[in-house]
Amino acid sequence: MIIAEATSAPAVRASGLAQIIREPMLWLVLSILVLGALTSPHYLSALNIQNLLRNAALVGLLATGMTIVLITGRIDLSVAANMVFSVIIAVVVTSWIGRELGLRWIVKGNTFAGSPLIFVVISLLTGTAIGALNGVGVAYFKVASFIMTLVSLTALRGLSYLATNGAPFYLKGAFFNWLSDELWLGVPVSFVLLVVLVLFAHAFLSRTVAGNRLFAIGGNETATLYSGITTNRYIVASFALSGLFAAVGGLVFTARLKSVEAALAQGYELTAIAIAVLGGVALAGGTGSLWRVLTAAVGFSAGLNLLAIWGVPTWYQNLAIGAVLILAVSLTRLNHKN
Amino acid sequence: MLKFTRRAAIGGVMSVAVFAATQGCLTAQAHADGVHDVLNGLIASYSEHAKEGMSNKSVGELFEKDGFRDYLDAYPVGGLADGFVWKPGMGATFTGPYSKLEIKAPFTDYIPLPEGPVLDPKKTYKIGFVFHGFNHPWLISLADTAAWEAARHPNVEIEVIDAEFDDNKMGQVIDTWVAKKYDGIVLWPSREAPMGPPVDRAIDAGIPVVSVDRRTSSEKISSEVLGNFYANGLQEGLYLKEVLKAGNMVLNRKDLGSTADSIRTGAFLEVIGNVDGFNIQGNYHTNSQRTLAFQSTADALQAFNDISVSFNTGGEEAMGALDAIREAKRLNSAPDGKKIVILANDDAKEVLKEIADGNIDMVSPYTPLIGDIGIRAVIKHIGAKEGLNDAPPKLIMTPNLPMITKTKMVIEGVETMTPDEWPYAYGPAVN
Repeated sequence: MIIAEATSAPAVRASGLAQIIREPMLWLVLSILVLGALTSPHYLSALNIQNLLRNAALVGLLATGMTIVLITGRIDLSVAANMVFSVIIAVVVTSWIGRELGLRWIVKGNTFAGSPLIFVVISLLTGTAIGALNGVGVAYFKVASFIMTLVSLTALRGLSYLATNGAPFYLKGAFFNWLSDELWLGVPVSFVLLVVLVLFAHAFLSRTVAGNRLFAIGGNETATLYSGITTNRYIVASFALSGLFAAVGGLVFTARLKSVEAALAQGYELTAIAIAVLGGVALAGGTGSLWRVLTAAVGFSAGLNLLAIWGVPTWYQNLAIGAVLILAVSLTRLNHKN
Repeated sequence: MLKFTRRAAIGGVMSVAVFAATQGCLTAQAHADGVHDVLNGLIASYSEHAKEGMSNKSVGELFEKDGFRDYLDAYPVGGLADGFVWKPGMGATFTGPYSKLEIKAPFTDYIPLPEGPVLDPKKTYKIGFVFHGFNHPWLISLADTAAWEAARHPNVEIEVIDAEFDDNKMGQVIDTWVAKKYDGIVLWPSREAPMGPPVDRAIDAGIPVVSVDRRTSSEKISSEVLGNFYANGLQEGLYLKEVLKAGNMVLNRKDLGSTADSIRTGAFLEVIGNVDGFNIQGNYHTNSQRTLAFQSTADALQAFNDISVSFNTGGEEAMGALDAIREAKRLNSAPDGKKIVILANDDAKEVLKEIADGNIDMVSPYTPLIGDIGIRAVIKHIGAKEGLNDAPPKLIMTPNLPMITKTKMVIEGVETMTPDEWPYAYGPAVN
C-alpha cells in the first residue's frame, strides 16, 4: 500500500542524499535554473529570483492546501475563490469592528487602514470556516467534493461581489508592505512563510496519527472506516486545512497587489491542481509529499519565469504547462508501475 | 384647454429662432474648435445640472446607489496635449500586424514622432507592451496600433504580451521586464487597483510606464493615455433625449467599478437625470460579454412588454441585446409599435453595419486605435530621462469623437457622422 511512502520516515532518513538525488522535480528545477543562466544574463539576478520565489509562494500555498485534500481522494475547487473571499470578509468585518469602536479603518472611500492583527485573524478564520463547511458537505452530507466545492466556488465569487459591490478595497499599511516586499537573507518573506508552513504540514502528515489517517482514507476509505476510524472528521479537517492555506495565500496575494476585489485570481484552483500533480500527488488519493509539491511550485514558477524572460507569448506558456503536466502524470504512473 | 394667444405665438417663434441660432452657432463652433471642446463643454454643463439634483427618481436612485458621482468627479476631462485639434479624416492607414486587417488609426498625428530611428540612433530601445485579450477584436486592434508604431522606428524593439485577464500575471510580466531592465513599459490594465504596485515598482526602478485607455492606481505613473468614456455616455444620453422624451429602459452594463461602466453609465444618467419620463426597468452587469447581454435582454423582454430603450455600455453588449430583441421578434415592440431604441458604444464594424441597417440607433465611438499614442509617449519619456526631449504631459487626453447615427443629425451642437463617413471602425468586416 502506498501509505508506507508517507509514513516510513526512518527509511527516508536512511537513504538520505541518494533519495534527494533521485527526485526528478529537483533535477527539473536545477535544469531550468542552469538553462536560464546560460540563456539570459537577467535570469539569476537577485531581483528575478525574488520575483520567482514570490510567485512560487502564492501557488505553493494553494497547492499545499489542495494536496492535503487530494491525499484523502477528494478535490477542492474553491481554493482560489476562498483565497479572495477570506480577505474581502476580513476587510469588511474589521472595518465594521473599527466603526463599532469609533475608529475609522476605511479611509478615502475604499482604502483599508485597519488593525492588521484583527484582519489576519478574521481572514484565517474565514478561510478555515469555509473549508470546514465544504468538508461537512462532503463528509456528512455525502456531496461529491467536485460538486460541493464547485458550488462553493460559484457562491463565494457571488458573495465577494455582494460584499464589495464590485469595487476594490485598497490595502495600505506596514503589514502588507512587509508581507509583499520584505526580504529575509535575500529571500522574500512570503516564500519563507511557505517553507515554514510546509514544514509544519509535512510534520503533521508524516508524524502524527491524524496525518497518517488522511493517507489511509485516500488509500482505502472503506477499510479505514471498518478499522474504527471516524473518517468524516478527518475529511472535514483536511478541507479546513485547505481553507486555511487558501486564506494565507490570500494574504500573500493581496499584499502583493495592495488591493483585493472580487474578480481576482480566476482559475487559480487549476494551477494549484497542476502543481500538486507535478509534485507527484495522485488524484485518486492516498499518496503525496508536500516537499515534492513545494519543489514543484518552485519548478512551475521557475519554468514560467524562464519563458517570460525569453519573451515567449502566454499561449505558448500555457501549451508548455500542458505538455509538462502530461509528462509529469505519465512519469508518475510509470514510476508507480515500476 | 389649449389657448393659442398672440403672446404665446411670438414666444414660440422667438424660442425656435433662439434655438436654431444656438444650434447654428454651436455647430459652427464645433467645426472651429473641434468636437473635443464642444463635447467637453456639454459634459461640464450636464454635470453641473446633475450636481444640483436629478428630478427623475428612478435615474437619481441608481446614480446614488452605485456612487457614480465619486467616479465622475475623479475622471479627468480636459484639453488635448500641445493644443492638438482633431478633425475627421486625420490619421494613417496600415495593415494591423496581428489582426491582418486594414486599419485607419485616427490619432497618429497626435504627439507625433517621425518615422525612423528615435532618440539616440546608436541605441536599441526595448519596450514592453502588456495587455489582456488577444481573443477580443477591440484589444487586438489596440495591440495592432502599438506594434505598428514600434515598427516605424528601427531602433525600437517591442515585446507584446497578453496577460489573459489575470492581473497578477500582468504584474509578474512587468516585474520580469523590470528584471530585464527594459527601457519603457506600456500597459492596458483591466482593473485599476491591482496594477498600481507593479507600475510603482517599475517607476522606482527608473523605467517610464504609460497606461493606455484604462487607469492604474499608481500615482507615480509617467503618463496615462485616457479614453473618452465621459463623451461616450454623454452622447448616448444626448441622442436618447433627442429622439425620445419618455420610456422604460433596460441597461446592459460592464463590471461594476470598472472605469468604462462607472463613467459611461454615470455620464448617461447625468444627461437624462432631469428628464422625468424615463424609467429604469432592468439594470444588469453583463461584463462585456455578448452572451450575458443576450440572456439579460431576453429575460427583460420576457418580464416587460413595454421596453423602449436598450442602453449598452459596450458594442458587444449592444450586439447581444440586438440578437435577443431580434430573436424575440420585438424590435418594434416599444409602446405604440415604435422601435426599441438601442444605444451602443465601441465602433466595431459589425455595430456600424447594424446602424446602417437601422437596427442599432447610435454608437459613441470608443476607438482601440490608441496603442500608438502610448508607444510614442513612452519613447518621449525615455528621451526626457536621457535629456533628449521634454516629457509629454502626465494626462494625455484622447480626442472626443462624435457619435455615429444612420443619418446626419445635429444634436446640441454635435454633428453626428454616418457609418459611410467613419473610416476608423475596427474589427473584421461584416457583410
